[in-house]
Amino acid sequence: MRPLPPFFRWLTVAALADWLITRTLTRSAIFMPKSPPVIAVYQALTVIGQLAFTLTALVALIVIGWIAFHEWPREPRAHRAFGIPIAWLSLLALNLVFLVIPPQGWLAVGHHLLVVAVVGMIGWRTWSGAEEIRKRIAWSLPALALVAGELYQLSQTLFEALRWPGPSPFATTIFNLGELFVVLSPVGLWWAYRRNVETRPGASLLLPATLPALAFTVAHLLNPALTAIIAIWSTGLTLYLPWPVYAVSLWLAGDVVVSLRRSAAPATGAMLLLAAGGYTPQLSTQVFLGLIALWLLALPFDARSVSAVPSSRGEAWPQLPSSNALPQTAVEAPKP
Amino acid sequence: MNKRSLLSFSLILALAAALTFFKVPLASSQGVTLVAAQVSGELPMTSPDSELWGKASAIEVPLSAQNVTKPMLLNTKVRSVTARALHNGSQLALLVEWADDTQNDEMVRVQDFRDAAAVQFPLAQGLPFFCMGQQGGNVNIWHWKADWQADIAARQDMETLYPNMDVNQYPFAEGALPAPADYTDPNYVPALAVGNLFAAAHQSPVEDLIAGGFGSLTSQPADGQNVQGYGVWENGKWRVIFSRALTSKEASDVAFAPGKVYSMAFAAWDGANGERNGQKSTSQWVSLQLAGAAPAARPAQRAAAPYDWTGLAFVFGPMVLVAVLILGFAGSVAMLAAWTKKK
Repeated sequence: MRPLPPFFRWLTVAALADWLITRTLTRSAIFMPKSPPVIAVYQALTVIGQLAFTLTALVALIVIGWIAFHEWPREPRAHRAFGIPIAWLSLLALNLVFLVIPPQGWLAVGHHLLVVAVVGMIGWRTWSGAEEIRKRIAWSLPALALVAGELYQLSQTLFEALRWPGPSPFATTIFNLGELFVVLSPVGLWWAYRRNVETRPGASLLLPATLPALAFTVAHLLNPALTAIIAIWSTGLTLYLPWPVYAVSLWLAGDVVVSLRRSAAPATGAMLLLAAGGYTPQLSTQVFLGLIALWLLALPFDARSVSAVPSSRGEAWPQLPSSNALPQTAVEAPKP
Repeated sequence: MNKRSLLSFSLILALAAALTFFKVPLASSQGVTLVAAQVSGELPMTSPDSELWGKASAIEVPLSAQNVTKPMLLNTKVRSVTARALHNGSQLALLVEWADDTQNDEMVRVQDFRDAAAVQFPLAQGLPFFCMGQQGGNVNIWHWKADWQADIAARQDMETLYPNMDVNQYPFAEGALPAPADYTDPNYVPALAVGNLFAAAHQSPVEDLIAGGFGSLTSQPADGQNVQGYGVWENGKWRVIFSRALTSKEASDVAFAPGKVYSMAFAAWDGANGERNGQKSTSQWVSLQLAGAAPAARPAQRAAAPYDWTGLAFVFGPMVLVAVLILGFAGSVAMLAAWTKKK
């Protein structure tokens, strides 16, 4: 077993900075009074946010390239194993093409299909592997959310490419279904990763775990319309479900991230990347964050190996199997 | 973080800073494009049920409450509009549809607010602020109003709502039974005399406007009002058609040409929810592409001129640059790694 390269952690930090600064804080700033100090802070935050976004985009491309390299089969006869790295490389190449040719028409349809194909391939491997059923289900919920988001965008793109009179009759249903999967994802991840961990966060950690849910609840009760607007700007969620569902989901997500923050649980980094990517992401970088998160979640992990004592910093990310034949056969034996 | 990781991170951060500074995008997004299908013959400018609309692909454009300037209403009702577009080489027609439980087409009493929809187009290069434009970035706005539509059929006034009302006297009006229509002397109807659109009988339910930021919305002169419209409310849904000639003599009007791509944005008001003025739902910019070839003069010019390689360089140049940057970066990291290992 060897740790993941450090750029996975850099990606998470940069993506979180981009999400919280660019897509949440600076967008919320329009509701703040426009005094000169506030404007100066806002401008500084905008520059930091732009840098964080470029850093995220750059590191995401590096991570995609690294995953493709890592997944590349070392044995020439392993023809079937070439599918995933080729799909990752195609995504990388298509993203470079989109830098100069805007993604429209059939090119955009191809991109959406490729994303769905990558999710399908990782899913096939996850479901045909030896992981516990609850891990597979936990993986499937965010995967279904990502696929629903892609299908929602694909339906519109396809209608446009085919010059069909639209819009697609199923678009809204798919979108709402995807949002439901987003809300269920923390429940699944909590059930799969957090439930069996014997450690309980202390009082000092209870607050950070609860804070996002608490902040959301207070904001919603004070001003539901404003909360809905910031939620859609920040995460892409429309909040069409009853608000307590989102609050519970947010609390479970906070609990998983805080409780497993120093373990080798892929759920921690993956959940942060999924949150930073948002739902029905418009930018290719955000789609990459979702895909990388799903790839991380497909890595083997045993919750029982999580110790009450935080592990060393080098183990703060999931460990890779030494062979590059990924997860299905490489389930780590529980540590004593 | 060990020395090697620190070096790699510093290099990546420097590269990201350079890309940010030079505004080189590393992410792409698929914009929403409304394609105006090209048809022959007359456009269905007053017929939302026409089969011709079936030739146009519809897009659904999400709207959100205008929340930048006061007065704002954060819980607006119109969440999205569906848009289609057609053109016949000389005219453009847009069909905008949205769900609305109530038909509000009266603006007589102070408590009445109308249903309405608007589309806007930037007049300058680039994209000004999506909500009413900005200073130096004017926008041309076509504002369809349900009450103007109703006024064309039968002008509404207090008598319409209160048929049994009685007025003792209309000063300076002539006639045995004085009424507002009897005011014929322009000295007593100055707004009408100067061509105020709000005073005159409406020729079109669409007001043609120009804006350059909040508080700058201005009607175009009466003789410059060249946008037609037609709206129908049925089964909880408004269907509104905007139409205009592709070209316009006025500088404050957007001009269209087949084969070109423009930007446009939508806005909608639900009168039953008290929405008016800045209290509305707006969209971000979307693209409007007019199907068909660009004007005929251009291919001839192209054929006469030698092949222009600048376009190709423009397409592949940045791609090669980014590839070289990434390869250069990877090479630097590899060399640094080898150097650190040797040391």
